[in-house]
Amino acid sequence: MEEDRVRFICKRTVVSTRSMEPGRLYRFSVLDHVMEPNHIRLVYYYRSSKTREPGEITKKLRESLAYALNCYPIVTGRLVKEIDGTEEKDDVNRQWKVKSNDAGMRMVEARATGSVEEWLRSVNREEELKLVHWEDMYHLHYYWSTFCVQVTEFESGGLAIGLSCSHLLADPVCAMMFIRAWADLTLSRSMMAPPLFHPLPPRRLANHKLISNNQLLSHYIKSCSLTASPSNVTEDHMVTVTFLFPDPLIRAGENEPRISTFEILAGLFWVCVSRAKGKRNELMDMSLCLDVRKLLRLDQGYFGNCMVYHKVPYSKPVKTKDKLLFHAVQEIENITKKLDYDTVMDLIEWLSSSNNGAISNGSDLVCTNLENMSHSRPMMFEEDLVLSHLSCYVKGPVAGGGQVIVLPSLPGNGPMSRVVMVSLPQREMVKVVEDELLLSFSPVVIMENTEQI
Amino acid sequence: MSDFSSSVKLKYVKLGYQYLINNFLTVLLIPIIAVIVIELLRMGPEEILSILNSLHFEFLHILCSSFLIIFVSTVYFMSKPRTVYLVDYSCYKPPVTCRVPFSSFMEHSRLILKDNPKSVEFQMRILERSGLGEETCLPPAIHYIPPTPTMESARNEAQMVIFTAMEDLFKNTGLKPKDIDILIVNCSLFSPTPSLSAMIINKYKLRSNIKSYNLSGMGCSASLISVDVARDLLQVHPNSNAVIISTEIITPNYYKGNERAMLLPNCLFRMGGAAILLSNRRSDRWRAKYKLCHLVRTHRGADDKSYYCVMEQEDKNGNVGINLSKDLMTIAGEALKSNITTIGPLVLPASEQLLFLSSLIGRKIFNPKWKPYIPDFKQAFEHFCIHAGGRAVIDELQKNLQLSGEHVEASRMTLHRFGNTSSSSLWYELSYIEAQGRMKKSDRVWQIAFGSGFKCNSAVWKCNRTIKTPTDGAWSDCIERYPVFIPEVVKL
Repeated sequence: MEEDRVRFICKRTVVSTRSMEPGRLYRFSVLDHVMEPNHIRLVYYYRSSKTREPGEITKKLRESLAYALNCYPIVTGRLVKEIDGTEEKDDVNRQWKVKSNDAGMRMVEARATGSVEEWLRSVNREEELKLVHWEDMYHLHYYWSTFCVQVTEFESGGLAIGLSCSHLLADPVCAMMFIRAWADLTLSRSMMAPPLFHPLPPRRLANHKLISNNQLLSHYIKSCSLTASPSNVTEDHMVTVTFLFPDPLIRAGENEPRISTFEILAGLFWVCVSRAKGKRNELMDMSLCLDVRKLLRLDQGYFGNCMVYHKVPYSKPVKTKDKLLFHAVQEIENITKKLDYDTVMDLIEWLSSSNNGAISNGSDLVCTNLENMSHSRPMMFEEDLVLSHLSCYVKGPVAGGGQVIVLPSLPGNGPMSRVVMVSLPQREMVKVVEDELLLSFSPVVIMENTEQI
Repeated sequence: MSDFSSSVKLKYVKLGYQYLINNFLTVLLIPIIAVIVIELLRMGPEEILSILNSLHFEFLHILCSSFLIIFVSTVYFMSKPRTVYLVDYSCYKPPVTCRVPFSSFMEHSRLILKDNPKSVEFQMRILERSGLGEETCLPPAIHYIPPTPTMESARNEAQMVIFTAMEDLFKNTGLKPKDIDILIVNCSLFSPTPSLSAMIINKYKLRSNIKSYNLSGMGCSASLISVDVARDLLQVHPNSNAVIISTEIITPNYYKGNERAMLLPNCLFRMGGAAILLSNRRSDRWRAKYKLCHLVRTHRGADDKSYYCVMEQEDKNGNVGINLSKDLMTIAGEALKSNITTIGPLVLPASEQLLFLSSLIGRKIFNPKWKPYIPDFKQAFEHFCIHAGGRAVIDELQKNLQLSGEHVEASRMTLHRFGNTSSSSLWYELSYIEAQGRMKKSDRVWQIAFGSGFKCNSAVWKCNRTIKTPTDGAWSDCIERYPVFIPEVVKL
């Protein structure tokens, strides 16, 4: 067993530089509550061209994080189950809230041997998770930090920043926005996109009729109800492979501008994973995870869960397997185009009015769309640090039986390229990486599943 | 109504008595001078001339008497102690990133002492009633879970605090490092080799014939002890200046055990430091802020109870911490009494001293049951700086000296904003009074500090020039928010 490449240095708490108004309670939205048992882990890798003293960049990041936290009272608060006087529900169903008590967030510092480039060439899922510190909720939740940041300096150059947080407070979109705000503050001392904390849009007028055949809603009804039996997904050994697709749209031969790269890639993996599961000309169950901030007319800076899971229906088997991809993409496109304000509001209103548990995606494949998370300006902490890779993991019942996360293109790879992180049980992954349809897209494997000795 | 009018009458009687006794000589001399002037006017110039001529003045007499006068005045001026001026001082402002809010402190305490919930409860209760605010700071090493107090991190903290305070002092006074003649550093609980004063000499390349001293182990009153040492040295060395660095390095003293009486310092002590420039040069007379009038040191170590009341020791698990005994307040009160007995006659106006004397004689001779007269120190001083050792200390002294809320405001606000910074707290308090714009020329300030041993030291300064509200300094960014109301108990 090779020696641990990552060496833990210390763990501490970073508090904001200004004291927060004490005792304020923030409530979660219904979309937050359904995501409770899950957590997110992000890892950002930066290449650097300047040599630094060990610990120098960590110290600078720690200080700028303290300033960034002034805008995030929810991140520095703690979870409580208190009543704030406006509840209609009775005591039995007390829900989580965040009390802004100025307690700060955890920060772990670590060092790793080698350089970022070497690491990326030979890392796998277990090792990568060492770059993100995560602690399950303590028995006394009031002392548990919901967010945790790990800064790992590579001895031969480069930096990795890992962020882990409970899904109850944030989804991958706003977690990434948090890192962006922190990076902006470190580089230019001003935050370009400060977060917004406010409730979801209010109920619509009472005479609005529910949309018939609202598939989004029915999926949630089925999997959120408290009486639903817990999914019995066995803890298969999950492995993660990261692909870089240089130009998926061209490979697919799609000339229509309406189809997005996400739809192509989601369709592609839907087909490949179904095949790996042994289905011939049929597709397995799949859910799409989509950001609905724009649909709900919310700003990109809205902080909180705003991603919904839409099950993609599959009606009948297709005659020839050549048409399978085309058919899959069509189904996905139908869903994404049909999703609108009223559909999502139906869901939100249903969730507000009934007691429900957390959402679970069973053993479905879940495809998450994060491809629009890149901006025109790069996300940098310092002038010479260049983002070279980004990884995202979601763990918990919402992750289903397999995950495909489509991430934005990285600098140097062309705007039409995409990075896709695929997490599947080992035996399925082995088949997927050799699937000829997948290989026809000429993906480059950035991170693969290396065998542990 | 009659009570009110009688109390008003009493007030006027008291005022009249004070004017009479304090200006006794003037009151006595005025009628005598008046009589002489009237007599002279009555006599007329010829009679005055004839009286003068009758006194035979020979040349020798005149010469001898003038030599005598010159000799006596020279001896007088030579034997007068050199005045020690406090040119300026600067207090260390910790970086905002070292801030420790209550919730963070309690969370860390809970995570580290997870096997001792009772100790955690105890710390929480202390913190709730402590009078500290949410902006006090601890050094970086204590922010770790668990804290890592190494020698290196202690040295880093020392460098951070001391060098920053010194840079500020150099900037404020225009002092050049090569001009420092005397350097005194006091830091009670961290005493490395080479000493902290050697560290400063190394950093700023001070002169090789500098007189440097490093005082350690002397507790929270060490700042005034350093001032005393500086004063004595400045009597011997003419035309010199002295820099005093007063600080307490928190890093190595974090108590890692769970004995309750020893957890108290963890809750109250915070990062802080001050750098002070003293001088006996005549040229500094115009720009100096204060003049040192008196400095009285009282040591109660001869009494066993006082000696053992603040004791650094190991608990049963071998963790080193400072044990504070339960009768700390009583011992502090007694130490204060003995200090007052010495300083009273030096500073109190004659009216108060007479009252005190008569009450003393009356109790001894006539009736021991008479209430002892507590002299009114508010007549002797305009400002008070009581060491911000904790809320209990300030409350106790406010009661003993019968001070109003405004007099102890500087101490309470310093405790709120900076916590107990040990020996440097007196300087933060002085800085607060200046920042509020209350320091006028000829105001007298009384600094009282307590320390382990048990010591009570006090210093009396007189303001040399009205001090404009400073634009920078430890209080500059938060003074508009002060004074704040500090509740009895802050619910955590």
